[in-house]
Amino acid sequence: MNVIKNRNIRNALKIIVPFVIIPLLAALGSAAMFEKRHIIISLAAAAFSLLLFSAGFERKATGGRRMVIVAIMIALCIVGRFIPFFKPVTAISIITAIYLGGEAGFLTGSLAAFLSNFYFGQGPWTAFQMLAWGLTGLIAGYLAEPLKRHKLLLLIYGAFSGVIYSFVMDVWTVLWYNGGFDGTLFLSAVVSALPFTVVYAVSNLAFLWLMARPFGEKLERIKIKYGV
Amino acid sequence: MGAIDRINPVAAAVYFLAAAGIAMFSMNPVILSLSLSGAVCFFFIKSRSTGIKSHLYSLLLFIVMALINPFVNHNGVTVLFIMNDNPITLEALIYGIAASAMIISVLYWFRSFTEIMTSDKLLYIFGRLSPKLALILSMALRFVPMFGNQLYKTEQAQKAAGLYKEDNIADTFKGKTDIFSIIITWGLENGIITADSMTARGYGCARRTSFSLFRWRKGDFIFLAITAALFAASLWGTMAADFAYYPAIAFSEADYRTVTGFTSYGLLVFLPSIFEIKEALRWKYLKSKI
Repeated sequence: MNVIKNRNIRNALKIIVPFVIIPLLAALGSAAMFEKRHIIISLAAAAFSLLLFSAGFERKATGGRRMVIVAIMIALCIVGRFIPFFKPVTAISIITAIYLGGEAGFLTGSLAAFLSNFYFGQGPWTAFQMLAWGLTGLIAGYLAEPLKRHKLLLLIYGAFSGVIYSFVMDVWTVLWYNGGFDGTLFLSAVVSALPFTVVYAVSNLAFLWLMARPFGEKLERIKIKYGV
Repeated sequence: MGAIDRINPVAAAVYFLAAAGIAMFSMNPVILSLSLSGAVCFFFIKSRSTGIKSHLYSLLLFIVMALINPFVNHNGVTVLFIMNDNPITLEALIYGIAASAMIISVLYWFRSFTEIMTSDKLLYIFGRLSPKLALILSMALRFVPMFGNQLYKTEQAQKAAGLYKEDNIADTFKGKTDIFSIIITWGLENGIITADSMTARGYGCARRTSFSLFRWRKGDFIFLAITAALFAASLWGTMAADFAYYPAIAFSEADYRTVTGFTSYGLLVFLPSIFEIKEALRWKYLKSKI
């Protein structure tokens, strides 16, 4: 996205957006003016973060092979989402992140959320879903070495990210319904979403348990064979 | 194909964001009822084929969400009855109805939006913003049916070779896992070939451009201008319309500013429905002349 030609302005924006604009939005949100409108702030923050990431990705030179593999992973996530009670998006983006880096994981998670929502229902929550799944991948990319070595750690990370994902979406539900955050509503949202939370955690666990090794071997093989 | 399908995708996306955006951030009952009726009306005009079941589901969701609020929120002065020492108030009930009207109307806006945004339009918009993301998206969209096709072929081949059976759950599970594993390997190898052929044809030599049939016509600019004007007017008008749910329902007197805001929002939400109906009438008229 080379809309802004000047390199200095681009670099400045890269620092200003995460460290100035987003905290400023949060501060404004807590001020009296937007008392009941935390939803605007949270949506804007989510949109800004996604924009920032895609702008960074656009400028980098990414090899064609890498991009094709990310596209394949996204397609696998979308196909997997059609299987009932089986939500492989988190697991696949974690595996992609471990073997291909955090950026690939972020792209897989967020774009899979975006594309599959064309089948499952697009809405304002898409931005949050993209961010939640993308960040799961990004963080897994940073933790790649320990996650690759210890399977137990990987399983814990998978189950944990399923639970966190569900909680983030509950926060979003409350914000959307109420405008601002409300403890009782959040509690009732968490309780009513409990079956989904369990399904997320368990399916992440099962998928990573069964597929992490063979999936990883395939990616590793492709990496060695073709030098991605 | 209707009138809205032929509008430039960027203009259509701006329209939906404007219509749904005001509804999302306003809790004014007038705005919300306008938004709900406009969104449902347009969806009905646009897709008559959708079964009644999904609308019933929306209605159920509406009722459930409207009833949640009075049970968790006990603000408000008009007590309807007392349950478990907690007052159930009229204000909380009305707030619940308003909040669920907002959510359901935004759901309907996005459903119409998804119906209109076909993948070529999506790639047109993304090709403008970020060519690389558009490339990944278009490849992923292409891989989904390709995987489905290959899945079928692999299953048939495995069956013919006598390696796949579905006699019991354990066999089915093992068979499916094997096929999934085959598909992944095949997909990765196939993807590398795709990537190599892309490089051979000069991918990465220059900024990627994308071809699309969409052009900016005069009608698109007019549509965009009308949308922008109505959006600005309704934003300006609704800012002045104060509406408080707690502790008691209170709202500001209607003046010319709020009336302008409500009217322009009403026009905004019914704009595509008007277009569709106009188009249908014109078609009927032209047919009757033949």
